[in-house]
This record gives sequence, C-alpha cells and structure tokens, in this order.
Amino acid sequence: MGAAELVRRGLGDRTRALIGWSVGIAAYIALLAATFPSLEGSDELDELIEDYPQALKELFGLSDISLTTGPGYMDTELFNLMLPLLVLVLAIGAGSRTLAGEEDAGRLELLLAYPVRRRSAVPAKGIAVGLEIAIVSAVAFLALAAFDPLVGLDLDGGRLAGAMLGVAVLGLLHGWLALAVGAARPGRARALAVPAGFAVAGYLVNGLQELVSWLEPFRFLSSFWWVGQSPLSTGVKYDGVLVVGVAAAVALFAAALLLERRDLQVP
Amino acid sequence: MAEPPAIETRGLSKTYPNGVRALVDLDLRVERGEVFGYLGPNGAGKSTTIRLLLDLIRPTAGAAAILDFDTRADSTAARRHVGYLPGDLRLNDRLTGQEQLDSLARLRGGADADLRERLVRRFDCVLDRPIRELSKGNRQKLGIVQAVMHRPEVLILDEPTGGLDPINQSEFRSLARETAGEGRTVFLSSHSLEEVQRVADRVGIIRSGRLIDVDSVESLRERSLRRVTIRFAEPVDPTPFAAVEGVRLQSADGALLRLSAPEPAMDGIVKAAARHRVVDFVSEPADLEEIFLELYRENDGRG
Repeated sequence: MGAAELVRRGLGDRTRALIGWSVGIAAYIALLAATFPSLEGSDELDELIEDYPQALKELFGLSDISLTTGPGYMDTELFNLMLPLLVLVLAIGAGSRTLAGEEDAGRLELLLAYPVRRRSAVPAKGIAVGLEIAIVSAVAFLALAAFDPLVGLDLDGGRLAGAMLGVAVLGLLHGWLALAVGAARPGRARALAVPAGFAVAGYLVNGLQELVSWLEPFRFLSSFWWVGQSPLSTGVKYDGVLVVGVAAAVALFAAALLLERRDLQVP
Repeated sequence: MAEPPAIETRGLSKTYPNGVRALVDLDLRVERGEVFGYLGPNGAGKSTTIRLLLDLIRPTAGAAAILDFDTRADSTAARRHVGYLPGDLRLNDRLTGQEQLDSLARLRGGADADLRERLVRRFDCVLDRPIRELSKGNRQKLGIVQAVMHRPEVLILDEPTGGLDPINQSEFRSLARETAGEGRTVFLSSHSLEEVQRVADRVGIIRSGRLIDVDSVESLRERSLRRVTIRFAEPVDPTPFAAVEGVRLQSADGALLRLSAPEPAMDGIVKAAARHRVVDFVSEPADLEEIFLELYRENDGRG
C-alpha cells in the first residue's frame, strides 16, 4: 500500500545517519568495555563514590550500586544517562524531522496530494521513527552482548534485553511526542523543543525527587521514573516500561488525529 | 445520466485565521475533456483554490467535488483520480530523479511504466543525478512527469511552465491538448494571459479571491486590449484613430501615437495608419492588470 512507501522512504533517507549512529554507539560501548577490567573490583573507586554528595549520586544513579561490578558499571556509564540521552537525541531528531521538518521544507504538500490518508501517513512516519530507534537499540544490545564474555561484565541476558527495551521505549515516547507536536502545529523548532524540554524535566524530576520533597508528586510525569534507573543491577521495571509504551502509543494516535484536522502549511 | 463534471465548486470559500479572505464564494464548473485556464495575478487565490481541491487546506464555507467525489468526505478517492503539480515544487533533494519517480509511483500504488518511460523521453528528463544538482527547469519536468504518469482523469497544475524553456513549454502545451483530446481534463493556473490563451479552451479569471469572469479564450481574446504604438514619419491628426470603435487614445505627441484597442479594432487602426508614412508599428498584449481593469469596467457598465 501507499503509506508503506513512507516508511521505506523515511528509513531510506536516513541510511547514512543510522550507520553513523550505530558505529558511534558501538564504539562507545567498546571503549567502556575496554576500560572495565582496570576498574573491576577496585575498592578505592567505590569508596570515592561513597563520599560524593547524595544529590549527585541520586542524579546520576550512583546510589546503592557498585561501580566495580559489570552491571553496576554499565548502569552508571551507559543506561542511567548516556544511552537514553543518545537514543532520545536520535528519536526527537527523527520525530521532528519526518513531519514538521518535511512540512517546513515544503515537501509534505506533494505527498499529501497523493491518495494517502493523513491518518495513515502519520503512523507510517511513526513506524519509520520507531525502526530508527530499534536499529540503534539492537546495535547497542548486540555490542554489549558481544563484549560481555570478552571482558567478563557478567550481565544478565534477560535484564540486558529489558534494559534496552526500556531505553527504546523512552525514545519512542519522545520521538512520537515530537511527531505529535509537529502534527498539532507546523514548525520544526517547536517539535524539537517540546519533547526535549519534557525529557530534561523528566530526567531532573526523577533524579531529584527523593531529595526535593516538593518534586515528589510530579514523579508520575517523569518517563524516566517509570522506566527506572540501574536496570542491570536492580532489575527492569516492566510495568513502568509498559506505561511509557502506552503513553507513546497515545502520542502517535494523537498525532494522526491532530494532523487530520488542520490546514497544511505551504511555502 | 450525465457525466459528472471534472471539477465543481459551490460557494467555496477560504478565510485564513488572520482574517485574509483568500477565496470568496467560488462557483466553478470545469467540464471533462477541456483545458481550463485559471488566470490571476500572484496572490489572487489560485493556489488556495487548488489546495482546497486537494484537501491540503480546508474550506471555511462551501464545498467542492472532483468527478463527484467530495473533496472533504471522499478526498482520498478524489485524489486517486488527480495528478498534481504544486506551484512551488519541492522534491526530495537527495534522491535521483529516477528514485524520486519510483518512490512517488509506489506511494500512489502503481503507475504506468511504459507511459512514464515515454514521458521521461519526451521531456528529456535527467534521471541519474541527485535532484539537488538539477536546474529549476529540470525539476519542473520531473514534476510534470510525476503528475501525469498514472494517466489521471484530472490534471491540476499550478503554474506548470515556470522554469521551463520554450521547447519544453511547447511540449507541455501539446501534452495538455492531448490529455483533453482523450476526454481527460486539465486545470492549470497561470498569471500569464498569453500562456493560457495558447493552451486553454476556457479561462476563469480570479482577482483578490473572487472569480470575476469565465469565458472562452476566443471571446476573451476579442475583448482583451492591445497596446498599440505607432511612429509616423511626420506629425499626424489623431482624430481618425480615436474614431475607430473601441479605441482609446492614450497619447498623441506629434508623430508618436499610443492607443489601447481590442482585437476587432486592429483592422481600422491599420487602415487609418496606412494613409501616412509609418516608421514603426508595435502591438503588444496589455498586461493582466489592464485586462482586469477593462473587465471591471465592463462589469460596472452592466450594473
């Protein structure tokens, strides 16, 4: 069907970018893995972190986990900040580019003049964004699975898959939120800024809510709180991952409805 | 049962949120098998009309149908029968012409490969280079091919000849004539009366969002004014020229005479001029704005 072409085109236009992202993330993971043996079992590092201010430890997910074990190391160095950050940058970029960016560039006019329903075009673009996230997440998963036996990270396979799923779902929510913002009103800047702001706020609320009491009621609004920190050390919160996944689906559904009802912006 | 018209609008209106009335109460009927020229200056509402027909923007009042498919309720069905060339064509710059046409054909769910091949050869399209390296004319040719390559019943083209060289313009015109000859319909917008006259059967004239006239090209040509400038060898008396039916004397400066005149008056002017020694004789079509003013005068005259 016609809309499938939008998925194909969406990914096709991003081939080179995706190769770049994959290589970059795999290289970063390789670097982390290569550094791990020199830290493994080093009590001094754990003691050093023990002395960090509690606020810093909360924010960066350093409390109650040991940096010198494989799971603790990868949690702090990868899953608690770096990997979600990278995947979110990719997802928000993709979600804002594929609709708002195309509209800004004036390319949406011709496509929507074809016999394609807007409410199929939006999910098709959403799927393309989802596939970008899936590809990069799969590369990260495979890189970790490959390096684990080489340097003795001792990761639990199930937890690793779940942790990757959590990151991917975070990406999906913010990417589809970017799509929805672009569907509601034209303009890529807003489609970038709203989900990026939502992500930063969500991250800070989750990191600080245990220390700053007035933030605590807002933790339900933080997608990071739902997914949880340190999944390799403490286990994956699958119910939270599901909640974020449902929120992402709602965002995509809203995007389809929002684009359906408005005038297209033309150059 | 009579065949439905290619395009029909009833009271179609578009007022933008900022209060601009881009289109006011448009009643238009374009029959199948005709080339209809939609003529108006920039910003008159031509593109607004076209975008309403394609459901890219939504009317604030009224309705439109393409081949009896309502452009709101049955918009996908309507668009299945339409080939569209946007006025400001933006293609995917990274793709080659070939990839772009392939992609658009798949998006439509198929196109006639033979027809496409013939069109590509006819317009001498550049297919193997990325679109960002192509000139405006070469992009426009791809735009025309993508609009026609599935044999649409209704072709909607917004300023189609922009950027085309004269050879391709003429190729485009014969394509439009052939399309109408096959019983299909061409709706094209333009700001150039000359261009529309060369290809269209009927012309609708729009100005400030209002359709002010629909007429056959033939009678529009008769009504539209020429600007005539005659230079004589010696000073002449302008009275015999002004006496010709329909002629308005713009200026008479000794040997130089400026007139505005409709086509039927040309014979009288030439004969009056022939009594003197003529150095130069220029007759050029009045620009669109003058034609509009003339049409307004006529409409006012009728009350």
